[in-house]
Amino acid sequence: MLAVLGHPSADSFCAAVFNSVVRELEKSHEVTAVRLAEENFRPTMSAVERRAYETSTPLVEDATRRHADALRTAEALVFVYPTWWSGLPAQLKGWLERVFVVGVAFRFNNRGKIRPNLQNVRHIIGVSTYGSPWRYVKLVNDNGRRTLTRAIRTSTGMRARTMWCGLYALDTCTLEQRQNFIAETTEKISRRLGRKSS
Amino acid sequence: MKTLVVYAHPVDDSFNSAVRDTVVRTLIEGNHDVRLRDLYAENFDPFLSASERALHHTPPSTRPELGRDVEDLRWCEALVFVYPTWWSGLPAMLKGWIDRTWMNEVAWVLPAGANTIRPRLTNIRRLVAVTTHGSSKIVNALQGEPGKRTITRSIRVMCNRWCRARWIALYGLDKSTAESRAKHLHRVGQRVARALR
Repeated sequence: MLAVLGHPSADSFCAAVFNSVVRELEKSHEVTAVRLAEENFRPTMSAVERRAYETSTPLVEDATRRHADALRTAEALVFVYPTWWSGLPAQLKGWLERVFVVGVAFRFNNRGKIRPNLQNVRHIIGVSTYGSPWRYVKLVNDNGRRTLTRAIRTSTGMRARTMWCGLYALDTCTLEQRQNFIAETTEKISRRLGRKSS
Repeated sequence: MKTLVVYAHPVDDSFNSAVRDTVVRTLIEGNHDVRLRDLYAENFDPFLSASERALHHTPPSTRPELGRDVEDLRWCEALVFVYPTWWSGLPAMLKGWIDRTWMNEVAWVLPAGANTIRPRLTNIRRLVAVTTHGSSKIVNALQGEPGKRTITRSIRVMCNRWCRARWIALYGLDKSTAESRAKHLHRVGQRVARALR
């Protein structure tokens, strides 16, 4: 399992959800938890990286190499992030750009066509908080969700099952609603990914 | 029209840089007042940090390092983005510019007692995105065009009520030829000129 937190603050609500999910999954699975802000992960693809992107050695930094290794063996990807301007925070978007490269997320076949390379990934799970209510999120197309469950999913050969847990209108949610969301989300995800029978 | 061009691509001699040059040339020929922001060249930091996030409801004066961006946003009547579409959306550099600069009292405001925010960039009457996609149009359509919707819906809501959004895209860049790219540049010039009429 590879779990990625896209919220900058360690004491945010997103971080609380993330920690709860990771703690539960760790009981039954091997989990790599990536907290991008804690790692000071650089969101921007540099000019060097962009040039290397076109070559067979696109990973030029230790951080991206380490994340790519985790990605190559992951059976499930779990993303937890706040939706800003209907999409992913820049740091999480940049993580996709810098880690989902040739030889990791996709490869070229002998006719030069792009082929998926993450057949190991069977589940893509997204957890996001939204400032806006559900209806408004749908109206503006929920772009972060589309990026993860459609664009990124193509790299799995369209095999991955997807699951989405959203908390909408966060600003008007009560403490109780938030706590319920953490409990429900943790339960839903661990059920989807299976537990070890005790 | 007062036009702000925001450009994001890391490589100097990329096709997107040629698109940017075409856009700027067209705007100058059309007698528009142009400001160009090259986010990579400026070394813009797109990371919205926890401490900055904590300033979410404060006025822009708490973030003096973004003063120039605030001024540019309030100044322009047309906003033109030039960028490559990566993983179906805006590059992190550009997304982070929006995350950080479309702030309280600049892009939106939450009036006392109200529970929904109100648009503040009513000076912006034209939104134009000029972008390139590696994949084909059908692939992007199936993915739901997240980048396009981010601009034509999510951020347009904060602009003028009559703001027109224009999408000028080259699909299938991976399979393009020198000829098809040159043709696209020509089309970019024509369509940008028309969009700002």
